[in-house]
Amino acid sequence: MRADMTPILHVRGLARRFGGLQALGGVDLEVARGEFRAIIGPNGAGKSTFFNTITGLIRPDAGSVTFAGRDVTGMAPDDLVRAGMGRTFQITSVFADLSAQENVQVALLAHARQSWRMWARAAALHAERAAELLALVGLAGSEARHAGTLAHGDQKRLELAIALAGEPTLLLLDEPTAGMAAQERIESISLVHRVARALGVSCVFTEHDMAVVFAVATRITVLHQGRVLAEGTPAEVRANPQVQQVYLGESVIAEGVHA
Amino acid sequence: MNRSRTLAVLAALVAAALPAALSDFWIFIAIEVIAFALYAVSFNVLLGYGGMLSFGHAAFFGVGAYAGALMVRKSGFAPEAAFALAPLAAMAAAAAVAAVVGFFSVRRSGIYFGMLTFAFQMLLYTIALKATGLTGGDDGITGLKPPGALARPAVYYVFALATVGPALYVLYRLVNSPFGITLRALKANPRRVQYVGVDVRSHQLAAFVVSGAFAGLAGAVFALSSGNVFPAWLNWTASATPIVMAVLGGVSSFLGPALGAAVYVVLEVVISGRTEYWPLVMGVIILALVLLMPAGLTGLWRRRGAP
Repeated sequence: MRADMTPILHVRGLARRFGGLQALGGVDLEVARGEFRAIIGPNGAGKSTFFNTITGLIRPDAGSVTFAGRDVTGMAPDDLVRAGMGRTFQITSVFADLSAQENVQVALLAHARQSWRMWARAAALHAERAAELLALVGLAGSEARHAGTLAHGDQKRLELAIALAGEPTLLLLDEPTAGMAAQERIESISLVHRVARALGVSCVFTEHDMAVVFAVATRITVLHQGRVLAEGTPAEVRANPQVQQVYLGESVIAEGVHA
Repeated sequence: MNRSRTLAVLAALVAAALPAALSDFWIFIAIEVIAFALYAVSFNVLLGYGGMLSFGHAAFFGVGAYAGALMVRKSGFAPEAAFALAPLAAMAAAAAVAAVVGFFSVRRSGIYFGMLTFAFQMLLYTIALKATGLTGGDDGITGLKPPGALARPAVYYVFALATVGPALYVLYRLVNSPFGITLRALKANPRRVQYVGVDVRSHQLAAFVVSGAFAGLAGAVFALSSGNVFPAWLNWTASATPIVMAVLGGVSSFLGPALGAAVYVVLEVVISGRTEYWPLVMGVIILALVLLMPAGLTGLWRRRGAP
């Protein structure tokens, strides 16, 4: 098998202004296939805007996004997903009124382009695959539970299963461990890491917790005031004086995994 | 056995036995219940499943009623053929109007969606009122009479049941289909559903058209039974009817709105026969029912039936 050398994600000069605030001031990013890329930065660095611009929620003022060799700048979310880009949200985003099983089925049906079928019984379709995906993220036995009644951590797992149902080649995770206790965070990101590895999915994730970042990231991009401040391996980024400057007072960077 | 199926079997048994037990007057009321049951259920496909509150659904009921009436009155076909085609004409006309109204309305959500449906309804109401040559204007279209034996209430009752029953089954299949589950997901989280690869607007529009078409069918079934159509059927006050019926019966159950329709129609008949202040009494009763049973009549049932 020959490795595909095209970057899975190539962002060039991405810019976006909100009124007087330059949220993104020309961001470049290149992510190779198989990477587990962390995007870090202090609050207001533009991480969420960056994510939302790549995934079609926000239109960029300038710049381009190339996904697996294809220009997808400004493409609508549903088209991006069908092209193979999956995402999860900082604020957990599942279908609360549906069962866990149905949550995944909706995604499987859409992926199979069956969401327009009006006569078939949905319950019978993709039930096995949905159960498999739930088991993969550790939710076996919770199939019939209403998603809204699941614990926060389990909803995050469910969201991962929903995203995986679309068989993405790239998964963008916006603060996948937000709202979790420290121990749970490492477990959670390890699960994402393990599953992504097993399925060959490249990942880009934003994260506040440096322990989580250093536990799994292959490379790290540091955003600061809407620009890329630094990029490199975890060791390079940790040793970067500019990064230490930005995170002044947050000794976590220097301490790394011990945080 | 699930709740909807129990309710459906029960309703079918009662419905089949009814004409033998009722006077012509009550058979006529039963026909009204059947028509409004379909109206309320079709409305609830939007509200209960798709999370879209239409303030203008009477427009589709009204358009269907006029289309059915015009087919019978003005098409020039033999009476039997015209009558047989009336339900189809009603569905087609209502679907076409719903496609236009829906095309613009689904571009907005929540209260703005509601306002757009409201505005289109006022437009259609004005057309019904002013296009005198076609609609009879303020006088409406009156004196419609089904051909042959269908003019007898007991026979028309069977026709109404045979039309509405399959229509309800089609809608039941729809809400349990991949499209139906996608609608529920869309109601639960419209942003997330985009990120499983669903185009939100086109699915909303399709639901709107289907809902409008069946509301139109309900309008025709009712119009040909009552023998007339009036522009007031499209007025904005008329759009409250399916909302009240659906909420009364319960929006989270498929047949809840049908039960709501039955309760509403029968209450209205019973109370209006006793006092001229019937809207006041109706209002108080509905207020009490909604306050005591926030999940509707079927919600009460479910709570009791839940393990």
